[in-house]
Amino acid sequence: MTAAVEFTGVTVVFQQTVALQDVSFRLAKGEFLGVIGPNGSGKTTLLKTVLGLIKPIQGKVTVLGASGKRIKEVRTRIGYVPQRRPIDVNFPVQVLDAVLMGSYGGLGLLRRPGKEEKARAREVLKAVGLEDMAFHTAGHLSGGQQQRLFLARALVGEPEVLLLDEPTAGVDVATRGQIVELVHNIHQERQLTTIYVTHDVNEVLPCLNRVMFLNRTVEALGSCADVLNPDVLARLYGTPVAVVESQGRKFLLVDDRHI
Amino acid sequence: MTAIFEFLSYGFGRNALFGALLVGTVCSLIGVFVILRGLAFAGAGIAHAAFGGVALGFLLGVDPLITAIVFCVGTAGLIQLTGKKANLGQDTAIGIFFALTMALGVLFIGFMRRYDARLYGYLFGNILGVTAQSLVIMAALTVAVLIFTGLFYKEFKFLAFDEEMAQASGLPTGLLGALQLGLLALVVVVSIKAVGVILVEALLVIPAATAYQLTNRYGMMFILSWVSAIGACIIGLILSYLLGVPSGATIVLVAGFGFGLATVLSPKRRRCKICGKKLS
Repeated sequence: MTAAVEFTGVTVVFQQTVALQDVSFRLAKGEFLGVIGPNGSGKTTLLKTVLGLIKPIQGKVTVLGASGKRIKEVRTRIGYVPQRRPIDVNFPVQVLDAVLMGSYGGLGLLRRPGKEEKARAREVLKAVGLEDMAFHTAGHLSGGQQQRLFLARALVGEPEVLLLDEPTAGVDVATRGQIVELVHNIHQERQLTTIYVTHDVNEVLPCLNRVMFLNRTVEALGSCADVLNPDVLARLYGTPVAVVESQGRKFLLVDDRHI
Repeated sequence: MTAIFEFLSYGFGRNALFGALLVGTVCSLIGVFVILRGLAFAGAGIAHAAFGGVALGFLLGVDPLITAIVFCVGTAGLIQLTGKKANLGQDTAIGIFFALTMALGVLFIGFMRRYDARLYGYLFGNILGVTAQSLVIMAALTVAVLIFTGLFYKEFKFLAFDEEMAQASGLPTGLLGALQLGLLALVVVVSIKAVGVILVEALLVIPAATAYQLTNRYGMMFILSWVSAIGACIIGLILSYLLGVPSGATIVLVAGFGFGLATVLSPKRRRCKICGKKLS
């Protein structure tokens, strides 16, 4: 099967520290990769390297058949949900407008979004459950709604690869579950190659394909069963891990806290 | 009313009005980006660079607007480059060139054999002294700014809303940012004759800030910013003529009054409807 994203011995130096070291993995088209790891382990750097925003000092990155400087050219085929920074409450932009921004890269310079793009924006707003909010001021949305907006913006350009950086950061527990489910549904409906980055191991528990434990280097990469078991996780985190079952769902507890 | 017609019957009066309309238009449009992208200090830095350019123009005996263009665009480019290459925040880069270009201006004045009183007009603005030749340059620059702002309307919107995402989406954010600073430089040059190096900052910031108080829509912000700037320019000009006070300062004070009014009346500051009422 053709690889959508492939890293071969990739080392990245960011702000004078080694952020990623000798990272290699291959992600087939339509695959879902959950990436977990502690803070500062290079998860965001990994996504930015896929986008070509940060260049490796060693190794090769191939995304949708492009590598090196040519990754820029495939950026419009990648949807990206960056780590959330709250939208300025009074920024003069409406939800539909903010979603349409996701189509700008594909339109190229000078062309304005037309009927087709607006219809697509409506469609993705519906997919993320924000169809009634199209004309609200973006900054007035709640944290969870803003995350859905960013997801819609990432989807409006009909990407082949979807990158999500802590999409549940700063939202309440109930909304967190809804967003994880939404991302899973979208992945399955659209057959999107997805990289889902989170520091909360419980978010990758409803595991779809593969999980990576990243701590500058790839410390574990495998199927859900291989990585997401208490013994492996205890070794990776260096602390005992307990599995708690409640209402048919599993939760992992590490050192008395969620990781 | 008679006084207004009398004012417009003079050539200098019509030139001043036309100049005020040009200044109001460009400042209010580019001001929207200044407010939304936090470029107020960049505007101030570039405006002070114009002082160096104007002084050089007087020293060399060429039109100070021409040398001011070179200085402003050059400074805008250096701010962008230094911020990027030296890993400095844009604020720091602006602080450096702000001082350097002012120092050059003072040096150029020092080289002049005698002080030219017209220099004062560039510092504080003298719209009544705008010549037909300056108006042609101002009009050409206004058209250039309007064209670029229109062409990159959507790109500038994305840049203001979320620069990191704009870059990740494949937009050339470095180029667009540089273009925006370049336009800002042109706007400063268009405006210095009317409101002066020191007060141009006010016209870049105040009309757009007034609009920001009144709307949550991007397109509407341009319209309101334009209306408030044009209003301030025309009312300020007439008042300055009637009262016999400096025009640049009057325009800025009128704009400031408009901002105060917009802030007090701002729907954004209105609290929720049920607050303050008794809950049954």
